Amino acid sequence: MTIATATEPVKHALKIVKNATCTFCGCVCDDIELHADATRIVETKRACILGEAWFKNHTAERLYPDALIDGKEATVDEAVEAAAEFLHKANMPLIYGLSNTTCEAQREAVWLAELVGGVIDSHTSL
Amino acid sequence: MTCTLGEVKNRADFIIYWGGNPAECHPRHFTRYTLTQKGKFLPRGRKDRTMVLVDIRETMSAKAADIFLQVRPGKDFEMLTILRALVKGQTVSAEAAAETGLTLEQLQDLVNRMKAAKFGVLFFGMGLSMTRGKHMNSAAALILAAELNAYTKFVAMPMRGHGNVTGADVVMRYTFSYPFGISLTRGYPRFNPGEYSTIDLLVRGDNDATLVLGADPGATMPKPAIEHLTRTPTIVLDPKVTHTSRLARVHITTSVAGISAPGTAYRMDEVPMPLRPPLKSPYPSDEEVMKKIVAAVQKKPAWYPVTRTGAQVT
Repeated sequence: MTIATATEPVKHALKIVKNATCTFCGCVCDDIELHADATRIVETKRACILGEAWFKNHTAERLYPDALIDGKEATVDEAVEAAAEFLHKANMPLIYGLSNTTCEAQREAVWLAELVGGVIDSHTSL
Repeated sequence: MTCTLGEVKNRADFIIYWGGNPAECHPRHFTRYTLTQKGKFLPRGRKDRTMVLVDIRETMSAKAADIFLQVRPGKDFEMLTILRALVKGQTVSAEAAAETGLTLEQLQDLVNRMKAAKFGVLFFGMGLSMTRGKHMNSAAALILAAELNAYTKFVAMPMRGHGNVTGADVVMRYTFSYPFGISLTRGYPRFNPGEYSTIDLLVRGDNDATLVLGADPGATMPKPAIEHLTRTPTIVLDPKVTHTSRLARVHITTSVAGISAPGTAYRMDEVPMPLRPPLKSPYPSDEEVMKKIVAAVQKKPAWYPVTRTGAQVT
């Protein structure tokens, strides 16, 4: 009995975020209450089944390398330099996606498309 | 003609979902905005509203509907056109109506209800816009809603999925005045879906590099498109190493918008929402990495004499 309680994780004070915004679907519900420890969200109040899966699926752990160039681990700065080189060298680079990201990043993508003289497109065209 | 979901909540007494399954794809749409909420002008909530579902099969959403109309697959455009004719009081033959899989009486009843509504909304999903007729179906739905305004207040709204895809439309619209599929290869924006839409570009093999941000085309696109992503240099920014990352030359791991990265996302009715991320990621955000790529490109010689005033800050 005592051993079982000892192995149970100590309950630290969880960080509570009220009125958090869920970006899984187009409803963008902004009334979600999230309870999170240092690396993961442990409770989602008012989120639907899709939202709960979305919030609990992503953690703040370091699961992947910072960057990969041709499958080999690299630093972010090296990868940024390689990306800039590929995009600058191309005659018609394409910038695609822009869905699971913020408007701030989308604005940078728009500016990048203009700088490299490329094509920009989102999921809307699918 | 559209409105915000707040207006739907407070005013809409007649709601149509066409080619969408909100019960499973937008689970809180009914309870937060459209059906069960009590609105300012609908004090009894669900009892004051009528909901019609138009779809090719009886989905989970049909349980929540007052009327379910099962349209024959691929006959959405015909059904919309008949509805437009009936709204204008034109004669429609029973045979033409039967082609849609519904009877003339059912369609006439729907038109009567639409006209009698105080505030009607037509939500249309990918079941309408991605089936036979594609954007012509969306256009027909929008025109139907517009024409109903000769009789009552009626609006239409697409049921957008995919998080902040609405934001992408808005950002590109306020920058270029076009929402997607934009070419800047001449230094000014040109809009031509079919020519500058991603699948078409990739399948034809027109572009010679790709930057993928917040998407995973390697998992969803047709094979020829994926092959072109493999043939040409592809750069991926994603919180996970995705299918696309595995065929890309460059992958950069980023934090997740709304979970570990701050910013703004647009709701499907184009209302911007601030994100409140609870976690702190060890990875940079999409915004930070994109800013670095922009800075790195700016150090290189310009391909065309552009004025470098920078992105407009509001």
